[in-house]
Amino acid sequence: MLTELPRTATATLGANPLLSYAMTLPVTDDDLSVENLPDLETETEAERSARFERDALVHLDQLYGAALRMTRNPADAEDVVQETFAKAYGSFKQFTPGTNLKAWLYRILTNTYINTYRKKQRQPQISGHEQVEDWQLARAESHTSAGLRSAEMEALDRMPDSVVTTAMNSLAPDFRLAVYLADVEGFSYKEIAEIMGTPIGTVMSRLNRGRNQLRTALTDYAREHGLGPREGR
Amino acid sequence: MSDHGDCSKALTSLYEFLDHEMTDVDADLIRAHLDACEPCLDAFAVEEALRAVVRRSCAEHAPETLRWRVSQITTTVIVRRSL
Repeated sequence: MLTELPRTATATLGANPLLSYAMTLPVTDDDLSVENLPDLETETEAERSARFERDALVHLDQLYGAALRMTRNPADAEDVVQETFAKAYGSFKQFTPGTNLKAWLYRILTNTYINTYRKKQRQPQISGHEQVEDWQLARAESHTSAGLRSAEMEALDRMPDSVVTTAMNSLAPDFRLAVYLADVEGFSYKEIAEIMGTPIGTVMSRLNRGRNQLRTALTDYAREHGLGPREGR
Repeated sequence: MSDHGDCSKALTSLYEFLDHEMTDVDADLIRAHLDACEPCLDAFAVEEALRAVVRRSCAEHAPETLRWRVSQITTTVIVRRSL
């Protein structure tokens, strides 16, 4: 079974999201190996800048992709990413080398978006009723409609990117971000919980609801466009 | 032949299984069920295909203007501090 984050850790992250960039995430393959860890005592500012450019800026495309899903607007996405990197650079001295840099950057990105842009965009707030129990009930437990015929699977493969991004954009912001972090970035539930500053149960609830809505939209599209011989009638 | 209870359990665990969030023991139970139940295997295949489509569709390249703006963050600070 999944383990919940310690209550204290969650509470701390939630209490002051902008200042709590401390992460307790496990080291991933993307991170620095132990032998290459810099000596923070002797590292010069130029060395730290070079390390930031080498280790943090490589995530630019991914962070921009996430920001574009969050803001749904390229100009705001650029601003939120620039602000994220500026904040990350400002706190880079406090970041512990060898821990999960990518998740740390996503945490800053999420906070920046929530604190600045979501307020500006005046999007409706997500309801707080995200109990773990109701997604378990909501999930389809029969596969009568789950399968797709081969023509429909082909329609899925040929689906234009814009169909997917439009369907993503129609999800509620918290669902959209959870789905993006899991499906596109492949973060674990624990990592998403730390990035979004929520308990793992909330992550699972958001993922289930968001994915179910997105899957329904995309499979509906595949069925409509995978009619094969009946097409054009 | 699998009974409906196994199908229901497998389909309820679909996301967790594909997210690699299950224990080895629980994941092995799902694998054993998928070996025996084609409709469930199809449902899992559709989910994997959907994930591939979402990944592909959401891949973005940062605009050059943003790349330039972000690259200025470290440079600007160094220049300012060295004055």
